[in-house]
Amino acid sequence: MTSVSIVERGGGPPQRRRRGGGGFSHVLPALVLLLLVFVLPVLLLLLRSVTEPALGLQNYAELVESATYGRVFLNTFLVSAVVTAITVVIGYPIAWLLVILPRRWADLLFGIIILSMWTNLLARTYAWMVLLQRTGVINKTLIGLGIIDEPLTLVNNLVGVTIGMTYIMLPFIILPLVTTMRGIEPDLLRAAALCGAGRLDAFRRVLLPLSLPGIAAGGLMTFVMSLGYFVTPSLLGGTSNMMAAELIAQLIQSLLNWGMGGAAAFALLVLTLALYALQLRLFRRAQAGRA
Amino acid sequence: MLLDFHRLGGLKWVLVGIGLCVAAFLLLPILFTVALSFGSSQWLVFPPPAWTLRWYEELFADPRWIDSTLTSLQCAVLVTILSVGLGLLASFGLVRGSFPGREAVRAMFLMPMIMPVIVVAVALYAFFLRIGLGGTLVGFVLAHTVIALPLAITSICNALERFDKAIEDAAILCGANPWEAKLRITIPAIREGLFGAAVFAFLTSWDEVVIAIFMASPTLQTLPVHIWGTLRQDLTPVVAAASTLLLLFTLALMLVAAWFRGRTK
Repeated sequence: MTSVSIVERGGGPPQRRRRGGGGFSHVLPALVLLLLVFVLPVLLLLLRSVTEPALGLQNYAELVESATYGRVFLNTFLVSAVVTAITVVIGYPIAWLLVILPRRWADLLFGIIILSMWTNLLARTYAWMVLLQRTGVINKTLIGLGIIDEPLTLVNNLVGVTIGMTYIMLPFIILPLVTTMRGIEPDLLRAAALCGAGRLDAFRRVLLPLSLPGIAAGGLMTFVMSLGYFVTPSLLGGTSNMMAAELIAQLIQSLLNWGMGGAAAFALLVLTLALYALQLRLFRRAQAGRA
Repeated sequence: MLLDFHRLGGLKWVLVGIGLCVAAFLLLPILFTVALSFGSSQWLVFPPPAWTLRWYEELFADPRWIDSTLTSLQCAVLVTILSVGLGLLASFGLVRGSFPGREAVRAMFLMPMIMPVIVVAVALYAFFLRIGLGGTLVGFVLAHTVIALPLAITSICNALERFDKAIEDAAILCGANPWEAKLRITIPAIREGLFGAAVFAFLTSWDEVVIAIFMASPTLQTLPVHIWGTLRQDLTPVVAAASTLLLLFTLALMLVAAWFRGRTK
């Protein structure tokens, strides 16, 4: 401790001045890269959305009025909401299990989750494309078990997209939930039991409310990430039920409609940022509540 | 009670059951892909009639697979170097500096992580087309560095915040110049954060598809772009072989990371 106070007394004011100037120059190279290769291109794209084909908001008007675009955004919302709901329902018990399992088993389960998370996205999507085919393992197993007579159409539609997306999003909800549940004091549940609460009561009135901030933050993050996903929906989905990211890609890459593509991208961007801001507030409140 | 595994009663077995199902769900596609890559059937019949290395032979005989892998490696290594270098410098500024607007700058560095990748991809596509960087290695590296940087900065900032600056100051008091103190005291002390940043940056670039699809040219593409192109044509088992090799690579990286973490503890 003494060495700290000596240093601070000795080099106080001049050091602080050097820090003030030095800090920014350290940040500068990364900042310049970010401005040139991120901020500027995004701004130019937004500019094109209000200048092509002519100056004005007609692209945005078309985005709102057109039934086709409306359906794409509806699809996107629907799939994202369903994926979020499923991941919360499956992810919650897994997070719970991870918090209470003996160390060795928890580590193993964690390892599996992390492995699936870091396995190449295309490799995982490929596996689902094969598994979900009409002649794929899932259909064959279901027929073999006598549950269905005819193979189900599980790919090239929103069912396939939902399965593939749930698979990819699951780790993203489990990890924040684990953080929240680790922060819950086990004593609170012991107290509930002492006060005569049964398991169901303790869950409904203590554990669940206390993990709610984690559910909200993690769920919102899953929803936001699902809204913008491109690879899985375009490989597992069909041409007739596009999602937002695919629409943007198609408008720009195939149709060369930069104005409309820019407008759709901007709509997705604003939506994402707004939901992200909401999530940040929920998360802050969760942390404040814990402290 | 509810947070004590041994006192959960019957509920314990419900949770364990769900855990087993989810573990199976997470492992199923991975194990399935590995099995298919050794299966003899071109029609992806499972279980396969016989086992073969044929798809791996096809993979290694095709120069497009080799070329795209080399491009991916080259790109990921450059992205790692750039992200860790720029990230280290920026983290010093963010953690130790006190310039006006520091919090705004910090938030901006995290932006590429929050934005939908498709928006970044499309914006960069338009911009790079205009300035002639589309379809070049420089274009790939710059684009991937922008999205790898937030992860690198988060990892290094965390490590730097945990490091007690008094130790660096003490080295300076003992006669080291500021650069020497940083190089010999601070950087070794935050090596775990730097290593994490490197792994994140490498894997971000290595696995990135969306931006790469828009950046690629017929002559220059990364491995994920080549897989993407192949998948759009047919579901050949060669993709299963490529996926298995990618999986092995990821496993190896995870093991190295775990070993490194064990060693620094």
